[in-house]
Amino acid sequence: MSTAYPLPTNISPSTVANTASLLRIVAFGLISAAAIASRLFAVINFESIIHEFDPWFNYRATRVLAAKGFYEFWNWFDPTAWYPLGRVVGGTVYPGLMATSGVIYNFLHYFNLPVDIRNICVLLAPGFSALTAWATYMFTAEMKDPSAGLLAAAFIGIVPGYISRSVAGSYDNEAIAIFLLMFTFYLWIKALKVGSALYGALAAVFYFYMVAAWGGYAFITNMIPVHALVLLLMGRFSGRLYVAYCSWYVIGTLSSMQVPFVGFQPVRTSEHMGALGVFGLLQIVAFASLVRSHVSSKQFQNLLAISVVTMGVLGAGAFVVMTYKGWIAPWTGRFYSLWDTGYAKKYIPIIASVSEHQPTAWPSFFMDLQLLIFLFPAGVVMCFRELRDEHVFVIIYAVVASYFAGVMVRLMLTLTPVVCVSAAVALSTLLDTYVEAREPDAPEERTEANGSNADGKKAKKAGGAVGSQAGTAAAAAASSTISDLVSATRSSAGSPRQKGIWGADARLVIILNAIGMLVFFVFHCTWVTSNAYSSPSVVLASTNPDGSQHIIDDYREAYYWLRMNTPQDAVVMSWWDYGYQIAGMADRVTLVDNNTWNNTHIATVGKAMSSPEEVAYPILRKHDVDYVLVIFGGLLGYSGDDINKFLWMVRIAQGVWPDEIQEPNYFTPQGEYRVDDRASETMRTSLMYKMSYYRFSELYGGGNAVDRVRNQQIPKVGPTLDYLEEAFTTENWIVRIYKVRKEDALGRDLKTANAFAQGKKRKRGKPVSRRRAIV
Amino acid sequence: MRTRSSFISPLSWSFFTLLLASLATLAQSSKAGKSASSTGDSVLVIVEPTKQAEYSIFLHGLEKKGYAVTIRAPKADNPLLIEDGLPNFSHVVLLASDTKNFAQDISPQSLVQLLSLGTNLVLTLGLKQNMLTSLAPEFSLLLPPPATPLVSFFPERADSPSMIPIDVSRQSIPNDILSVFPSQVTGKVWFSGTAFALNSNPLLFPILHAPLESFAADLTDASGLVSDALADASEKGGEGLWAGSSLSVVAGFQTLVGGGTGHGADAGLGENDQARAVWVGGSSLFSDEFAKKQVVEKIQQERGMKVVENPSGNKQAALEIAGWAFQEKGVLRIDEVTHHKVNQTGLVEMYTTNDEIVYTTRISSFNPSTRKWEPYSGLKDLQLEFTMLDPHVRTALLPVKGKTGLFFSHFSSILSSSPPLLTGTYSTTFRAPDRHGVFKFVISYKRKGFTHLHHTLSVPVVPPRHDGYPRFLSAAWPYYAGAISTSIGFLIFCTIYVAGEAKEEKKSKKE
Repeated sequence: MSTAYPLPTNISPSTVANTASLLRIVAFGLISAAAIASRLFAVINFESIIHEFDPWFNYRATRVLAAKGFYEFWNWFDPTAWYPLGRVVGGTVYPGLMATSGVIYNFLHYFNLPVDIRNICVLLAPGFSALTAWATYMFTAEMKDPSAGLLAAAFIGIVPGYISRSVAGSYDNEAIAIFLLMFTFYLWIKALKVGSALYGALAAVFYFYMVAAWGGYAFITNMIPVHALVLLLMGRFSGRLYVAYCSWYVIGTLSSMQVPFVGFQPVRTSEHMGALGVFGLLQIVAFASLVRSHVSSKQFQNLLAISVVTMGVLGAGAFVVMTYKGWIAPWTGRFYSLWDTGYAKKYIPIIASVSEHQPTAWPSFFMDLQLLIFLFPAGVVMCFRELRDEHVFVIIYAVVASYFAGVMVRLMLTLTPVVCVSAAVALSTLLDTYVEAREPDAPEERTEANGSNADGKKAKKAGGAVGSQAGTAAAAAASSTISDLVSATRSSAGSPRQKGIWGADARLVIILNAIGMLVFFVFHCTWVTSNAYSSPSVVLASTNPDGSQHIIDDYREAYYWLRMNTPQDAVVMSWWDYGYQIAGMADRVTLVDNNTWNNTHIATVGKAMSSPEEVAYPILRKHDVDYVLVIFGGLLGYSGDDINKFLWMVRIAQGVWPDEIQEPNYFTPQGEYRVDDRASETMRTSLMYKMSYYRFSELYGGGNAVDRVRNQQIPKVGPTLDYLEEAFTTENWIVRIYKVRKEDALGRDLKTANAFAQGKKRKRGKPVSRRRAIV
Repeated sequence: MRTRSSFISPLSWSFFTLLLASLATLAQSSKAGKSASSTGDSVLVIVEPTKQAEYSIFLHGLEKKGYAVTIRAPKADNPLLIEDGLPNFSHVVLLASDTKNFAQDISPQSLVQLLSLGTNLVLTLGLKQNMLTSLAPEFSLLLPPPATPLVSFFPERADSPSMIPIDVSRQSIPNDILSVFPSQVTGKVWFSGTAFALNSNPLLFPILHAPLESFAADLTDASGLVSDALADASEKGGEGLWAGSSLSVVAGFQTLVGGGTGHGADAGLGENDQARAVWVGGSSLFSDEFAKKQVVEKIQQERGMKVVENPSGNKQAALEIAGWAFQEKGVLRIDEVTHHKVNQTGLVEMYTTNDEIVYTTRISSFNPSTRKWEPYSGLKDLQLEFTMLDPHVRTALLPVKGKTGLFFSHFSSILSSSPPLLTGTYSTTFRAPDRHGVFKFVISYKRKGFTHLHHTLSVPVVPPRHDGYPRFLSAAWPYYAGAISTSIGFLIFCTIYVAGEAKEEKKSKKE
């Protein structure tokens, strides 16, 4: 047969195999290096610093774990968070991330490598991204072949959708969770393929690790049962499925209940009921197949019909009754918000207020996945062509994750791996087709073709009876392009082919095109990573007129001020976004933080912020607040400030005190959200407004004071503060800290006391008449 | 004009050093000086130089009590009240009640600032409007219209109606208010000046009420007719006549310091910053004239009336009023607060829910006669709160009777004169609530006339440790039974399966 380009013939198959595996190792090493390197932009552009909000808590918890050991961490009660309620950290945290860092820390220190815990935390995510690439490689290799696996590994290594959560310094649960997700899925597929209890148990172990690491473990908890259920419905029940599922479910569930934060949830909440149901169903089906092997088919039909109906009714009834009785917790609000995107805004504003819980905009799919989003459907179609058990898994995963990624921005993260796998399958099939050296047989040759050494599709088509055996042979033969090459070089005669590409030029056009697209993909990924996803958000960057970078470091300036100038046990009130940062960087007591477990407490802070001073003051005193911290971007044009978040504070407070706080009062009669002289009275007297614009117009010395975020002119006579006094304002006015004044020594309210101190005379008082007016 | 009596005899020096040495062993009593005050010896008296001689008995009385008196004219520039943000004197007496203009640094604002800095004030009101009449409303005092002195026609006497003898013993003082005048003040107290009503401010309390029959009215311009004057006064008063014993002529004010959160920036006991102010309706109460003036009383006897002339109580009363203001009496402080678990000693960083907690505090009061802090067990209504947002536990903190605690043994040996019962220790035992969080031990004892006792101490109450829960519960037996039976069943199954396997193999081989 002819080849499009000459192939060397004098290479032994073992040499080819060795070279191929060497190349794979080298390629994989390069992929890991690229994955790690592209995540270091943040460290190079800024510094080795923990990013954003949640990572600051994880970092703080890790330090406790490293310093005091695991048992102290488990029993850690943090009296400085959620003051005065405190937070039982050990029981309300997924400890996987901290435990991982702690193990690495202790490991390095055992070998006398005194690495700072901060550097471990900063570099954990890039390190685990290399492992994710490996897990994706293994997973995809199960789907198609190792070359597709390498492509998938390369994709997941640099795709922005994953980098957004795993740059250096982004020390969050997702950093290790995606690796665990992919590896658990790989082990599940492996267990299913082999029917091995060992792999099932391994899948359970990694599932346990996942449960300990990320709240998103519920995705695995439901993906695997759905996969098993679909296989059942497709009539693909087998002993392999039974063994794999049962070993995974039993070990996985029992071990997941050992995580204190999860506790009895796997048997008590609705989210976990699917896995339990499928487990029960598998027992029934297994029992049914046992019965079938013992009784006649007629009897079996009747028995099956009756038992299926009875068990279905009983099971559903039991579920309803147990939910009604409260033994099974009903679906949580977070779950409902997955189906109804408007639900959260109506009923749980605290969830809706988080920007990453918003529905995804279309451009962000392209931004995060670029080329892959086009290859993704093609890959899913490829899966349909073969449709082995594992392909069913990828298809289900693709459908489910696509839906979720559309509902919430943050769930783009779970979509990314399956997109990489599918795209790799698609692209690898394309390359297989066009790199394949053999040309298809000419039509006249085909007629002469003998079926002696039947291979591939022709044999399958010609003799369907040969059936499965030939099919598996074909699958085995097609398992890798390299083995194709080997077989091509080995058999000079080759096998006849119906489909294929003639000539080198057609191949070159397609291959160069594909390579070009890949190159653009790499450029896109690098650009997005360096520009969009590498900002620590603790430190802001802007560009000077001459092009050099200007660092805006107001946050750390303010936190450092707090750390150095306030008593150790001073209570700082701020909106919950900054709770973890204050605790981590300023080391001060906070009222609320990003662990939004107590809605009422957050609403209390919201109420204090959105009330007039007189109303807010008793709340502040009751909670022992010493300082209030607000973020104000009006001077610099920093849009993520508290005035822009203010409506969420109002809404959350309104949810608890609908009589006292009403959202419409904060708008102008025309329904506009304004901060200038047309702002509503409620808006202008609110504590948040006063703290943001206190003495703002003085800065412009009589000129027009313009808020650059809202592009509105601030009134010349600014708000006055009686119950608070300005303590500190950072260089660019981003963070403003106010001190809560003590009660007046003479028992007056502070407004009167201030008026007196400024020399205003009080109206003469009269004694209260003790006589009752005669009506 | 400035005279500072600052001679200290060698004898008093040695006494002083001896006192210091003995006090050094006490926990904290550094502020006790040689005067009867618990907060300091220096007194600034602001009085017109021409009138200084009128108050010699009072001023001499102060010096006799150990105070270093400095005199300053209202318009003099020196000595300053506040210098570099610190008060120059421990106590300030303002006797210049009729002065219209004061020096730059004597203003209502600076007087309030003095109070917040811990300086005690004695303020006397005049009939004319001046700085103090505009300051009085800040203390919740309600003054009658200007130039309406308190007048009373009873008892019948030769003096003008605005010169009133007030019977101290007839004052009705509620039980929970400190009685400023001890039984030594005998006789009636002469008063002349303005009276005032008190608004409902918990920090303010009357020291001396106006007599029942008195009222505020201007008798001079009412063409001599009392009825006209009364009509005028009630018209001016707006609400009606300023009259009766609800008016006060002397009122005490205890500033609110340490009433804060006791946490973070508000940490500390705060008692040292507490200051007192006394408002007196007329400065003549302190004058020599009134101190020497006899009170003519008619005593009904079997055979008609008998006229008796008694010395007035003014001299003593003035010193007692100033003494309260200068924190001589009714001065309490918390010396020590300890808490621990029952049957354990030593401080605890955090408690577990449902722990039994022992809370102990030691309170002393200042004894002006010995000029020492002495343990004080006299508080009967002291309460302890265990608070997180709201008090979860509120319990009586009762004085400990009998045996002296370990902490206080050497304490009581020094004060061997005090009976062993009075250790000043208050203690209670209570169970921590079944609720975790940051709790505060709060003592908030605010009684009129006494120093406010306010003390907070936060302590976290945490849930039990992971191994702190009971291990084997009888209620969990169904689960234990389930686990055990499953294990046994599994063992049996394995045995049968392994044993049965061999037979089947044989069978299959046979087949």
